[in-house]
Amino acid sequence: MTSQLNHVLNAMDQLVLEVIDSKSGTVKLLGGDNDWVKALFPQLCPQQSFTISDNTPFLLDFLHDARQVWLGQNDARIRSGLWTEVTENKTELHLEAIAIKKQQKNFLVITNQLEEFQLQQHTKQLARELLLSNDRLCIQNEYLHSRLLSIFKQPPQQSALPTTLTKIIENAEFCVIITDNELTPLVENSAARRLFKEDKPFQIQPDKPIDIILKLMKNQLPEYDRILSTKAHWNGELCWMSPPATLKWLKISLYPVKTKLNEVENWIVFANDISTIKYLVQRNEQLALQDMLTELPNRFSFWQTLEKHITSGKNFYLLYIDINNFRRHNEFYGHDEGDKLLVECGKRIKSMIKGSDFIARIGGDEFAIILTDIDHRKACEIAIQRIIDNTKKPFATSKGETFTVSISIGAANFPNDAQTAEDLMKFIDLSAYNGKKNNKNTIQFYSQSMRDTSHQLIQLEHELRLAIQNNELELYLQPIVDLAKSTITKAEALIRWNHPTKGLIGPDKFIPVAEKSDLIIAMGEWVIQRTCQMVKKLTKLGYRIKISMNLSSAQVTDNSLFSYLHSCVEKYKVDPCLLEVEVTEGVLVDDYSVANKLLSKVRTIGMSVSVDDFGTGYSSLSYLKQLPLDFLKIDRSFINDIVTDDNDKAIVRAVIALAHNLNLCVIAEGVETKEQLHFLTDNSCNSVQGYLFSRPVQFKNFVELLKNQQINGTD
Amino acid sequence: MIQKKICLLGASGVGKTSLVKQFVEGIFNEKYLTSIGVKVDKKIISLAEQQVQLMLWDIEGQDRYHVFQERYLRGAAAYIIVVDQTRTISLRQGIDIHTLARQSTNCPAILAVNKNDLPAAWRLDEDEYASLAPLFDLHFSTSAKTGEQVEAMFLAIAELLHGNKKNDITT
Repeated sequence: MTSQLNHVLNAMDQLVLEVIDSKSGTVKLLGGDNDWVKALFPQLCPQQSFTISDNTPFLLDFLHDARQVWLGQNDARIRSGLWTEVTENKTELHLEAIAIKKQQKNFLVITNQLEEFQLQQHTKQLARELLLSNDRLCIQNEYLHSRLLSIFKQPPQQSALPTTLTKIIENAEFCVIITDNELTPLVENSAARRLFKEDKPFQIQPDKPIDIILKLMKNQLPEYDRILSTKAHWNGELCWMSPPATLKWLKISLYPVKTKLNEVENWIVFANDISTIKYLVQRNEQLALQDMLTELPNRFSFWQTLEKHITSGKNFYLLYIDINNFRRHNEFYGHDEGDKLLVECGKRIKSMIKGSDFIARIGGDEFAIILTDIDHRKACEIAIQRIIDNTKKPFATSKGETFTVSISIGAANFPNDAQTAEDLMKFIDLSAYNGKKNNKNTIQFYSQSMRDTSHQLIQLEHELRLAIQNNELELYLQPIVDLAKSTITKAEALIRWNHPTKGLIGPDKFIPVAEKSDLIIAMGEWVIQRTCQMVKKLTKLGYRIKISMNLSSAQVTDNSLFSYLHSCVEKYKVDPCLLEVEVTEGVLVDDYSVANKLLSKVRTIGMSVSVDDFGTGYSSLSYLKQLPLDFLKIDRSFINDIVTDDNDKAIVRAVIALAHNLNLCVIAEGVETKEQLHFLTDNSCNSVQGYLFSRPVQFKNFVELLKNQQINGTD
Repeated sequence: MIQKKICLLGASGVGKTSLVKQFVEGIFNEKYLTSIGVKVDKKIISLAEQQVQLMLWDIEGQDRYHVFQERYLRGAAAYIIVVDQTRTISLRQGIDIHTLARQSTNCPAILAVNKNDLPAAWRLDEDEYASLAPLFDLHFSTSAKTGEQVEAMFLAIAELLHGNKKNDITT
């Protein structure tokens, strides 16, 4: 080795060793004799070989990987990754090793990577501080939000509201504002006043924090009106600029506090100053217009680009893509997998659009796309279909589990549908929001009728709220006949709406609206109360009839449901054995642990539990074994063709056998003919329900049915 | 002397380096300085019958900036999943890392719930504890800051591994 080459290696901070024996890790110096080399290998002498020992345990371990290269036939190399070695004089060396095979010769190169180490440490330090502060912020927000909600939900007599609230709010390190339903502030902590204090020399009357926040939201959020009118919660980032001296990035969270009738009583607003975080992001990412996670342009870059396109006056389509049930995915697989899904989704969408089109991530699970050079709807539909086809393909988690997602796409055209950026965004937001309802891959182009439908839904929700207040709801009962006893032993409670002008409305029309607006909780409580009253009346009349009530997903996850159920049982002094709760298998699978806890409690007080629509959804057999259940209700779709369809016959027989093995009773729904009844009787089905016996009827008619049965029975 | 390789794994910022520093040097630094790559520290522990040298592989936190590298677990006699009790997400990340680690080794796994000098962000109910506990051979509630349970944890690991000849590096 020439001294000149040695000089070069020293300049490059490298040490090159020739491998004498790869098995024992014996090497010989070829070049590079900086001071750090001597500190790392004090035993190193020119021309003399030495063996790598456990004095450098990381390097010794790396030899396992290195041997794969050295013992191979072809030229190859492998890197160790960075590691830190502490020398005898306590100096830290930041090193990387590379095992090389070149023309049948084996080498081990060790590089002093101080600069690379410092660069990585500087970058990752900023990035990780950012992650940690973001985590902290989320924890603080979640904590305060749940504390406030729990205090608001307490009955007034139990609540130490004023003192507890004042303490929590005043001690919060960030801005907390509580307003009435008109957004007039009732409470405002000192952090709020600090955060929104402006350094304006001649300002006589400073703006109220809430006014500043609402103004920013109105100006920077096209969905502002939709958020307020749909009483949705929102959180995101806003930029507050107030010349000459104010420029702050704010993380804002807005939560509605609703009554049981889904009316907003209060709004809670949190605001955090995230200017430092933003500064770190910008410094770290160097690109203020890029989304850190997906590396796509971010919301602000999108707005700039959208404005540019509008200024150019050329025709384009704007798309808004939203991943359906992303929250559920995040909860099920964890946030890291959620992030992974967003990255992959962004990539897939990007791969389906032209280079001249523009894609950005504009919110949690929302992407926006500007499709240029398209002037008719058909071409836009084709482009959208390409995106749907590609996002429909299965995704995989890090553990190799595959899953699929569906997306909702809203679309609007410039200039036909709207001429301003705000209106375009409002319209596509509304379109995607409408498309989201059925949880499938949907495309919704903006239209006037959509706007009308949206208004109709809001109207329906309003009328439904009045319906609960005005007692327009009625509970019908459909008998369930025990086949062994040939008598009515149970009934299913089914809700109907006697609309003052539209007549009787079926649950399929209003339950989805109730579920969407949280009115389902108030409606569910009404059903529980009414059922208890009916059971009590029936008992007084001498009938021991069990009534089952349907629980929706929102009710199952409502913490106060069980105490309400329990209080009604006590208030009406009914035998809990005469009450049953019915849940669909979808609810059981989606909210397994919550459902398990609730159903166990319900059974502890003597009520029974049945699974509705069995066979139509996930039909996970494992939950049948693990959950506390009493009855399985076979869905009507299997009963319809049970006489003619061999597959349905086999399925029903199998479900009955399975249920009996698990000590569950079986109820068949939708029994309409005698032939169906015979089949079910022959195959040991326990109970049946359907038009063959009776439609759902009003309470007085149900009592008549019981009376007639008694008369027939005594005949 | 018997040497045992112990890997410290976990999300970034949970206190892996601080635990090693507390155990090896008896010091704690409040300032967070992120680790890059791997650093191996050694400490000899005296058991009743003999001495064991622990080789502590402090591995850069696994997050979106640094993915889990299973090769670092090669020859490990045990690994410690460190989580931060002030951040619920770090527990979930720790379990994920543990699941990945289990794909390449069956050596004993230890759960260290660190920063117990600070208020906990989560509390496990009985069901959750019952599902979590069997995943690990030992679990400790530690504080690298006060030193609580740090020495005890490494001593317990050494005792657990003592006599287990598998994965001895030298004897």
